[in-house]
Amino acid sequence: MLDFDFFLQQLSNGLTRGSIYALIALGYTMVYGVMKLINFAHGELFTLGAYFGYALLVTRGIGASLGPPLAIGVTMIMVVGLTALAGHLLERVAYRPLRHSDRLAAVVSALGASIFLQNAIMLKWGAQYRAYGADLLPNVVFHIGGFNLPLVRVLVFVMAVAVMACLHLFIHRTRLGLAVRAAAIDQGAAKLMGIDVRRVIAVVFIIGPALGGLAGLLVGLYYGQINFNMGQLYGLKAFTAAIIGGIGNITGAMVGGMLLGLLEALGEGYVSSSWKDALTFVVLIMILVVRPTGLLPERVAEKL
Amino acid sequence: MLELIDLKVAYGGVEALHGLSLSVARGELVTILGANGAGKSTTLMAVSGLVRPKSGRIMFKGERLDSLRSHEVVQRGVTQAPEGRRVFGPMTVEENLRLGAYTKKKGSEAALAGVYELFPRLGERNTQMAGTLSGGEQQMLAIGRALMAEPELLLLDEPSLGLAPLLVKSIFQAIRDINAAGVTVVLVEQNARAALKLADRGYVLDVGNLVLEDKAENLLNNPQVIDAYLGGRRAAENQAG
Repeated sequence: MLDFDFFLQQLSNGLTRGSIYALIALGYTMVYGVMKLINFAHGELFTLGAYFGYALLVTRGIGASLGPPLAIGVTMIMVVGLTALAGHLLERVAYRPLRHSDRLAAVVSALGASIFLQNAIMLKWGAQYRAYGADLLPNVVFHIGGFNLPLVRVLVFVMAVAVMACLHLFIHRTRLGLAVRAAAIDQGAAKLMGIDVRRVIAVVFIIGPALGGLAGLLVGLYYGQINFNMGQLYGLKAFTAAIIGGIGNITGAMVGGMLLGLLEALGEGYVSSSWKDALTFVVLIMILVVRPTGLLPERVAEKL
Repeated sequence: MLELIDLKVAYGGVEALHGLSLSVARGELVTILGANGAGKSTTLMAVSGLVRPKSGRIMFKGERLDSLRSHEVVQRGVTQAPEGRRVFGPMTVEENLRLGAYTKKKGSEAALAGVYELFPRLGERNTQMAGTLSGGEQQMLAIGRALMAEPELLLLDEPSLGLAPLLVKSIFQAIRDINAAGVTVVLVEQNARAALKLADRGYVLDVGNLVLEDKAENLLNNPQVIDAYLGGRRAAENQAG
């Protein structure tokens, strides 16, 4: 009985982490899908989301003044808006001017933007850890037998799933979503359909960072503390999740993120907590060896 | 309706069109012939705004197309079924067709019905993934998709490429019908004989230069064309006999 509770504990832990990886992975995969380019600055947009949340909830103190539910709602909307804006500016400054140049130039530009953003965040908010504060969320824990489920885990999971469901509807049910899918399959053919591909690129550089920024905020709420270089490891893991699912594939990014979260939590619980990161990347290497295109892309029908 | 004036296009430093001039009148079916690398596809890509000309002008109904972006060209009423079909394989037939009407703000039901009437096969397979269609069906889809925007000028790049003779025949019949319905057509083809039988006029390109232009029936009987593009005189006589 005790063992099964422990398993549920690790399972819920994994799903929470997985939701966060999945949200970040979506940003990588959407940009890659349309531009065939890894946005190396995506991890820093995620960090930026965490710090925007910190600035609003702690520095501005709206957490204390508005009360938890409203404060979190307002912060969420503002963080999504601000990181979307940051992503759009990044595209304008670091990518759009290079759209006719070599692919490698864009990659170098992305790396530069990543270093710039990380340092800018450090200069603005400092190199030390910043705490979101324990009183932001009511410390509710559901007890189900011997299994404890904190409210914040439920919140992170529900938010992430809701956002992913919206994204799915956008991609499959709207005209602009159809254009995004077409541009991901064949940019030239999409242009011949009268699609303004430049606009599609702008759209993925708004949605991707918005999802990443939301993930940053959720990490702040869940773990309670943030750091200027947290985007590196999270970015790398989410990128791994995107590859596991098949880069360019939206469903794949969601599945890959969840799988990676579960793998980490179960590895931590049953193997060794100090080896969990190593385990993650061992799995990445194994998947790259066995199935270099990821788990899902064979079902091309679902690409983006 | 369409006029190219001294059009030069270069890829990197290599010039692919060395000053092409041609014109297409409203309602015409004009074919552009030539060997591989003659610049036929480049010409269509330049009209569609996918490659920028180095110099020269592209006029459509009195307006310059060469400074417009590709989606603006589609909005002006010029669409293309490109070489190799380039259908969206992971999407259904109907999604492909709806994408063809992307620039239409209003409903595209009438256009969709028109395409299904022209190519009943597409109607039967409307929920099938485009990538699973046969080559001929994909070509029908590429043409149908280009018709969804209800264009005034339709550009067709090698619609017969890789198709069985029977399918080529039905595709060419469809092109004849489209033209008869009032759509101006520019047809790029390697299958010169079939194209000339269909067309009002033809242009012959050779490595980026215009070498001949005439009525289609004159080109069919032109010894130079017969030797270079119609498989020589003997083949032409066999065909006649």
